[in-house]
Amino acid sequence: MAETRVAAEVATTETPGAARRMIAWLARYRVQTLGLILGAVIWEVVGRAGVSPALPPISAVIDAGRELWSSERFLDALQVTASSILIAFPPSVILGVTLGLLMGLIRPIEWVLRPYINLTLSLPLVAIIPIILLIFGLSQTTIVVVIVLYVLPVVMVNTFSGVRSTDSDLLEMATTFNAGRWLTLRRIVIPSARALTLAGIRIGVGRSITGGIVAEQVIGAFGLGGLVQRLGGAFAVEPLYAVIIFIGAVGVASLALINRIERKYQMRDVWPV
Amino acid sequence: MIEVKGVSKVFSRGGKSFEALRDVTFGVGTGRFTSLIGPSGCGKTTLLKMMAGLIRPSSGVIEIEGKEVTGSGPDRALVFQNFVLLPWADVLTNTAFGLEARGVPKKAREEVARSRLAQVGLTGFEHHYPHELSGGMQQRVGIARALAVEPDTLLMDEPFGSLDTITRHVMQHDLLRLWQETATKTTVFVTHSMEEATLLSDQVVIMDTRPGRVAQIVEVPFPRPRQVGLTDSPAFLEFTAEMSKLLERMQRIDMAIEAKIDAEVGDDG
Repeated sequence: MAETRVAAEVATTETPGAARRMIAWLARYRVQTLGLILGAVIWEVVGRAGVSPALPPISAVIDAGRELWSSERFLDALQVTASSILIAFPPSVILGVTLGLLMGLIRPIEWVLRPYINLTLSLPLVAIIPIILLIFGLSQTTIVVVIVLYVLPVVMVNTFSGVRSTDSDLLEMATTFNAGRWLTLRRIVIPSARALTLAGIRIGVGRSITGGIVAEQVIGAFGLGGLVQRLGGAFAVEPLYAVIIFIGAVGVASLALINRIERKYQMRDVWPV
Repeated sequence: MIEVKGVSKVFSRGGKSFEALRDVTFGVGTGRFTSLIGPSGCGKTTLLKMMAGLIRPSSGVIEIEGKEVTGSGPDRALVFQNFVLLPWADVLTNTAFGLEARGVPKKAREEVARSRLAQVGLTGFEHHYPHELSGGMQQRVGIARALAVEPDTLLMDEPFGSLDTITRHVMQHDLLRLWQETATKTTVFVTHSMEEATLLSDQVVIMDTRPGRVAQIVEVPFPRPRQVGLTDSPAFLEFTAEMSKLLERMQRIDMAIEAKIDAEVGDDG
């Protein structure tokens, strides 16, 4: 039950293409795997029918991928992208949770930060990447900053909502026992905010990958995004698909990992929500 | 001694004001059990929350042992209608919450919590979570949590209001026994049930609505310690029947007023 629920969530929220899901879920989920095989078969048939040069058969994509995935230029690009995400993600989460908590607890902080969050959540961040590029130059720092901008607001706004959704009866109860701020925070506010915060982090995982690739693509010089840009520019359709499949697979795998951590954590002392 | 002196409360929301309580005055003797009873909207819960220090009166004062109530304090503990337990904490942690708030070390507070849980019949459930317990058991945790801080005054806001009839009766009798066995605490108990009020209380404050005010203060004539069989005795049945009639009459008048207001509003429209 729980497994299908997780799979369904992943399928609906994070991965548009059926093929992207293949690698990570193949072994574990029969029905899902069957669906993926079906998708691959359809892809193969349509590809072979030669509907469009933009849609090569999946077998050709996998052939191209076999060559590409072990090539030096791919591994170099992967290393750059992965390290950018790994550098940017943990501080984004820590900062996002902290600021989200503060926003939830202290009104003036909410008033100050709220417009910026709404702005970053609604603005097409792609548009400001050139500005960040101007500030930080053609370096990994630019990518890291963009990823932080993608991840931070969702983590913040989710944590904030979690804090604000704290049951007022519980807070009243704490007041009657003269519970201090810290105890109220630890025993009531943080556990209340936990589920939404984790949801924010989960969304953040997807956004960190998106942010990193998009930034690299705009810059066009390095990383997997840069590779995508170059392959696209050269109309190298098969390897382009191979990169996309790889990125999708990594995204799905990291979400699966997060879900696993989340479940394990919830099993222990969190109320089943 | 709790003294409620000329307490009024006006709530205002969005430009409209609502008079919840008007000039309420009565006293609760130290170590006595008093019930507040009355139709919905008579302000009995508001009054209880004022005693707990969660709501300030608009005018008038509430004094406990001569000291004006200005906020919550360690001398009082509140038992909530909907239990208000931490869903993510086990029974032991929930019971010890009030002591944790006072900075009592873990070992000491858990020891007290265990003994209170034993008192309410929950030994063996220390590591259960609230959602694993029935409503009655959850409220036992709520009572144990309140007793754990050894309050001088116990405030109970319709504690059995959301329980089914059978559970409710069991809880009433267990509370009666517990209250009579332990060093008597001054208790204020909000309820809708005349039987419940009569069985448990020394004094019943009957309140009326629109605005909330004291209609009558009745001494319960049955001596303590009371036994479970009391509720079946003719004297008890007669007493509660008479009191219930009084309450019903108030409710009728209230409904008539409401109908009249509705009619007037209808005319305007």
